[in-house]
Amino acid sequence: MAAVLEPYIYEGGIHRHTLITELLEDLGGYLIQKIPAATEVTLIMLIPKKDVPLVEELGKKLLGKLTMAPLTGTEIAVVSPTLAAHHLPHSACDVAEHLRRDGANTNMIGLARGMGRRVALSADYERKLINEHDIALFSFGTFADCIINKKPKLFEGVEIPIVATGGPDLRTEDVPNADVYVGNIGRVAHRLRKSDELSSLDIMNQKVAEIVGSMREDISKDPLAVLPPRVMKEIYEQIPQIEQVLTPAPVTLQLDGLRVKLPYAEFSEKVENLEFDEGTRLAELAKVMPSKMKNYILIKIKRESEVGFVI
Amino acid sequence: MNALETFIVESAVPQEAEAYRSIVADVISELVLGGAIGRIRIVLRPEDSLFQMAIVLRGSQPPVRLADVADLGYGVMERKEVRISIREEKYLSPLLEKLWARYGRGQVLQPERNTLIVRQDQDPEKEINYLEGMIVADPKQGLQSRLIEMAIRSTPEGFRVRYHSMKENSFIFVASEDMLKPEWIQQAHQMLAELQEEQ
Repeated sequence: MAAVLEPYIYEGGIHRHTLITELLEDLGGYLIQKIPAATEVTLIMLIPKKDVPLVEELGKKLLGKLTMAPLTGTEIAVVSPTLAAHHLPHSACDVAEHLRRDGANTNMIGLARGMGRRVALSADYERKLINEHDIALFSFGTFADCIINKKPKLFEGVEIPIVATGGPDLRTEDVPNADVYVGNIGRVAHRLRKSDELSSLDIMNQKVAEIVGSMREDISKDPLAVLPPRVMKEIYEQIPQIEQVLTPAPVTLQLDGLRVKLPYAEFSEKVENLEFDEGTRLAELAKVMPSKMKNYILIKIKRESEVGFVI
Repeated sequence: MNALETFIVESAVPQEAEAYRSIVADVISELVLGGAIGRIRIVLRPEDSLFQMAIVLRGSQPPVRLADVADLGYGVMERKEVRISIREEKYLSPLLEKLWARYGRGQVLQPERNTLIVRQDQDPEKEINYLEGMIVADPKQGLQSRLIEMAIRSTPEGFRVRYHSMKENSFIFVASEDMLKPEWIQQAHQMLAELQEEQ
């Protein structure tokens, strides 16, 4: 069994940041995502638990900052009723940004006909797309009546954990079929920057992290045949074309799989034939499927009980 | 009447009305309507899928004519040119649009930042008379489209069945998801009448 990995975000200058990535490689950790922005760089990584102080020390020397990022390795769908100015960019984009600060990868999904009360509905394609993620976060509006009585029909067919956000202060039990409800993040027409708005975003991150924690616990009872970051590393080593993909996260990690942003028709065979040092191929350990998102590849890793071993 | 001297949003739950007031306030400031609206009252009934809004506008400015913002004179007489010296530069671009539409792009020259020369073949004096009375900008036109934009943005998005009535200095907007009941529209007119009676 591999060492226990802890998710961290490093924020620092781009100068000499490769020292961090080199150290990480030596320690057997994984670099999930690297986001350079002018002279700054943000590294999202998984570090072996016992070696965290080493990275922390080096980070301090480089005048950077290492913080825990509990949502690392999750892909969250931020669902807004439509893409109209009523719901975007505030507050749904602020919600997505706040989740990304804790390491999550987010996708904004605007439903085609999610607005309104009686008329709100979601399409089969949209539900399948949402179900490809780890968690779905629905961003709702101001009225308790809508959130309690009308909007939950958008949850139908969503099989992953559901987080709902909205303006009124409700209890989770009041919102049918939602796993968590977070209040005070309703419809606004300005950027969420007041202290009470930011504190409710913090509460949201905390609650999402709790869900992620319990999902990880569930997975650990019947572990994955191979860790998703390990697959990601092999993809980078064995499929050089991934370097030419221009999206921010060419390989996106999920709790129990990955999304590879290469065309399925061309690359699915290569992905299935990824080889591991232990002598197995990925096809034995995971299901490789076409994703509903563009023409990407979706990998869902099988459990130990199905495969019979863990590498 | 002062700007936004009455600004009421009503709903069954006071906190929700307060939250909605902040949305409408943001929309108004985004569309720079604060100075144009005198009194506004909104009634929201989410349980009936109903949104009613009545607005009393403050007196708006009259349309801007070319003579108000520019001096007109003759250019080279034998070519029948008209010379326009604009005093307020912010009207230059709408003016150019209008001149291009009338004379064609090639016939309007701009030898200098605030000076335009129009080449044309009519009697210059008649043409100057016409141009002096030409409306360059109509603040009311912009106001109307911004008011409609404001109404659509501040209504809950699913409420696609709409009624509106725009008069000289008032605006009524009713929206719902279902068929509009006549009494809802009547109520909105009643709301407007009450707003107008306020002192």
